[in-house]
Amino acid sequence: MTNPDTPSPADNDKLRGLLTKLDDAIASLGESREFAKPAKLPRVIDTCRRVLMQPGGCAEIEQRAETLEQAGLFLGSDWASPHILIPSLTTQSLKSADSSLVVIEALSELRMLAVAKGRYRHHLISDEGAHHYLTQVMAINLPLLFSAPSEAERETQGRLAEIPRQLFQYLAERIGYEHVIDELISEIWRILQQRPIQVDPVKQMITQIALCQANPEIDLGASGQGADRLVSSLFGPTQGCREDPGIEVYRERLASMDARGLQYEASGFARAMHDTGLVSPYHTVLLRHLLDFGDNLLSEALGLSSTGRDCLLCYCDLVHTMVRTAIYPETAQAVYGLALTLERGILYQPPVAPALWRQLGLKLSDWSEARLHAAFGDGVSYRARLMEGVLCMLGLPLGVGQGNNPTCQSARALSMWAYNDPDYLLQMVAWAARDDEILMHFEGQPISSQESLSGVAQTLPLDLDPVSLLVVPHLDRIYAEMGRRCLGREGDPHRWVNPEFHGWWAGRGFRINVDVATGQLTDLDTFLRHFYASYHPYYNGNQPLIHPQPAGIAVTDSAGRFIGWHAITVLRASLDPSGQMRIYFFNPNNDSGQDWGMGVKVSTSSHGERFGEASLPFEQFASRLYIYHYDPLEHGELAQVDQQELDRVVAMIQESWGADRIPAGGLQADEGV
Amino acid sequence: MNKDPNKGYIALLGWSLNAIEAAENFDRRYVVVAPDWAEDYCKQHDIPYVSWNFERLNDRSLEIAETLRDMGVDVSIPLFEETVEWAGAINSVLLDNPRLYGQSLLLRDKALMKRRAQLGGIRVGIFEEAHDHQDVIRFLKRVNQTLLKLDGDPNDPIHLKAFDKAGCLGHRVIRTPDEVDTIPEEEFPVLMESHLDGWEFAVEAWIHDGKIAFLNISEYVTLGYSVFVPASPELERYREQIRVQIEKLIKAFDIDFGLIHPEYFVTSDGEMYFGEVAYRPPGFKVFELLERVYGFNAYQASMLVFDPKTTPEEVAEFFPREVVDANGFAGCFGVYPRRRVVSRLEIPESVEDHPYFESHELTAPLEETVTKRTAFGTHWGLVYFKGDDAHTLRDLLKAQEDEDYYI
Repeated sequence: MTNPDTPSPADNDKLRGLLTKLDDAIASLGESREFAKPAKLPRVIDTCRRVLMQPGGCAEIEQRAETLEQAGLFLGSDWASPHILIPSLTTQSLKSADSSLVVIEALSELRMLAVAKGRYRHHLISDEGAHHYLTQVMAINLPLLFSAPSEAERETQGRLAEIPRQLFQYLAERIGYEHVIDELISEIWRILQQRPIQVDPVKQMITQIALCQANPEIDLGASGQGADRLVSSLFGPTQGCREDPGIEVYRERLASMDARGLQYEASGFARAMHDTGLVSPYHTVLLRHLLDFGDNLLSEALGLSSTGRDCLLCYCDLVHTMVRTAIYPETAQAVYGLALTLERGILYQPPVAPALWRQLGLKLSDWSEARLHAAFGDGVSYRARLMEGVLCMLGLPLGVGQGNNPTCQSARALSMWAYNDPDYLLQMVAWAARDDEILMHFEGQPISSQESLSGVAQTLPLDLDPVSLLVVPHLDRIYAEMGRRCLGREGDPHRWVNPEFHGWWAGRGFRINVDVATGQLTDLDTFLRHFYASYHPYYNGNQPLIHPQPAGIAVTDSAGRFIGWHAITVLRASLDPSGQMRIYFFNPNNDSGQDWGMGVKVSTSSHGERFGEASLPFEQFASRLYIYHYDPLEHGELAQVDQQELDRVVAMIQESWGADRIPAGGLQADEGV
Repeated sequence: MNKDPNKGYIALLGWSLNAIEAAENFDRRYVVVAPDWAEDYCKQHDIPYVSWNFERLNDRSLEIAETLRDMGVDVSIPLFEETVEWAGAINSVLLDNPRLYGQSLLLRDKALMKRRAQLGGIRVGIFEEAHDHQDVIRFLKRVNQTLLKLDGDPNDPIHLKAFDKAGCLGHRVIRTPDEVDTIPEEEFPVLMESHLDGWEFAVEAWIHDGKIAFLNISEYVTLGYSVFVPASPELERYREQIRVQIEKLIKAFDIDFGLIHPEYFVTSDGEMYFGEVAYRPPGFKVFELLERVYGFNAYQASMLVFDPKTTPEEVAEFFPREVVDANGFAGCFGVYPRRRVVSRLEIPESVEDHPYFESHELTAPLEETVTKRTAFGTHWGLVYFKGDDAHTLRDLLKAQEDEDYYI
């Protein structure tokens, strides 16, 4: 048996010769001044291409990953920011006919590998982050791992097609072949447990697994067992569509089914949907069909409990109209959004039902339609697409994600409104979608999103759910404008912006443990005692948190190194099933399950989290907190927190993001020790 | 790099990132004189910059010379053919030497320069100016009559070149009167030359204080396609004769300092014919090739010999020994697609696997249909080679003419 990894001596010579050339090229790139780098790049990239085509080439590049990046290989490109890279875009670049694009993408993947393996400490992405990214990349590009180049690839890429294959073989070997699929499956489950609104990336990965399973040439070995539920929930959750017959065939089958058969289908779909959070396009066909068969079957197909069923029966006209307007095979997730919206009972709030009627008849502005078109195409009407988004956001307030945009504040606000003030959210959607303008007030002064030109995001984001897509650009500009109006004030502007931006319930009291001028930690002891007094049920008279509160987190990577400030929502504090006090919070980042280092691992399931919630033990949460709000009228007294507990929290701060923020004189909290 | 205030302050005329980078890493102060589109870039990257649009010389031309003089600039260096007379005009002010301007005009007009060379006792081929198609036909006939060709014999070709363009731009080869019609009206007037059968090569000579400081011979494998340095031993045999030719040229053009880039033919009987001379860096990235084999930066070399404050000792120390100090042979090939319709770039396997193959600067095709090549020049990018044996390199470069890079 020949091992493809052990190059023959002749290959070895060739590789060695190429490596000398490569090292020369990298050195010349590294030495040159920034403006001269572009001219040196082609030589580096092309030499890398030749190295990558040699057996053993990937390993050599992985070794040089750090040198390559330091020399300026990715400078000025998206690849320079590995933390924003989107796995699904890799397919396009790896299949490109442009060799530079293929090579850069491959180099970036090998760089990620070096980071994931702990060989290269990157200041922008953690090793877990890189590992996670690579798993997703491999998942999306599974065919590259398991099949020979297709005719189309050979035609457009020629010998270049070897590079992605060599690359994926190598990645799989380094990361562990058999784990790729299984890891991918558990990854998909982990994401689905957070019930995101945007499920397209997940669907893409499941589709890839299904394709691999269906391909007789691909031997998955023992892996991939856990994929059945995922694949079936999309492509054939019930008896009637088990073999994925196509929408038309299924529609005909429904026409000839009796009540019992329909009942069977309805419960099958409902189970699959509530199991995974994914909706099969067949499900929408059934739902539309059932409109003529009474609300009991409809309720069954939505998998409603008594609360949801009550709501459906009270508002059956509205529900029917929403199904007719918004539910199509292309907008399947609307079914899940609708089911959970009914389940939340928010239709009983007087303004919500009329606001939804307004939404159903809303005339979208040209700009809104153009935005929806750009992001989703025109498979269904824009109104249906937006309605799907609205239902999903109302049903899954904690499923909002910010995409790859620096707009965590806006995503958090949308989520908070959907959760706490749904008719206000619907008002925002109407303004943004119909009028292209949102008006908010800051300390009595009106701020129009039309007049505030620039937001935090430099470009208009496209990777968002339909509601965020239309509303976030407005919110982002308003948020930035509020910040501008605080210029020159002493202290952190969130003190004033957060309550004005999010809603009256955000406490006007404000605490921060970082001195804005110096960046040093300040007043930790009071900060923490006051936090315990406001939020910890043992210290606040066992008062559950009433309204979601904006808070600020110092995000750290898996090594506990500071990455950046991040906006989250504190949702509740309570005991988890094992009796530990935890803070449950919403993180607008698309995936809350993160490792913040030093044992602080954000959990998203199995610690009493509801869908979309993230949680940490109270102490650990406090150790990453840097901003919170409170009601200044309620608590004046600091909690008598056990000094040992406080010391533990302070130590966690000092070991992680606070390491280089300790003021010269030391911290007050230490004096008691 | 730290700048030495006791050494010259140099203006680079024209936009070349390689030149700027070389200047950055050299001990002389410098300033880039380039059109206004370069301004933002220079600001962004902290590159010293003076804005100037190099149109034809006009009434305002003195302005840039005075601006530079007031800044304390000692000398200007032309980076492109189009800035040669500007450098002449500016340097005549900066160095207070009006003759430099006239010299630059000679070096800008191919017909004038040939006459001047002829006057200096240098051998040139037959040449004439043409103002219209008729002139070309007459010249073609006359040249072939001279060669005692009979009607029906294949003609010897003639060469047409624009007066004032760099290198191969606008260079055409004409064999029959029919081909004359393909010349667009706007290309006239042109310089016509008889074809010289022989070995064509170019020289890069850095001159300091009227003397040759470094002389490189660049060997063309095929004109317009490929070149390598240093030349093969067969051509290097003529080095002493070539040196004599260059000295004649220096004398004929009264060149005191700078970089000259002349082209010659050597015929089978060892006779040297002068083609043309340029007072600027050569095209085809010969500077890069020189750096690959000799390790010195040719832009810095030019700054050195242009700088009036440079001492002979510094010059002697800067340059390596000719030929013996080269660590191999470096060459490049200009790729032009051979097919009419191309879909992608693919480096031929024979090249890819050749140990001499270094790198290329080709990019993926932007269009599928290849425009027909009418004159020399405008290749799609260069491919670089380097190796120990001149003959292997030469054959390799030659073989590239039959390779498809775009398929």
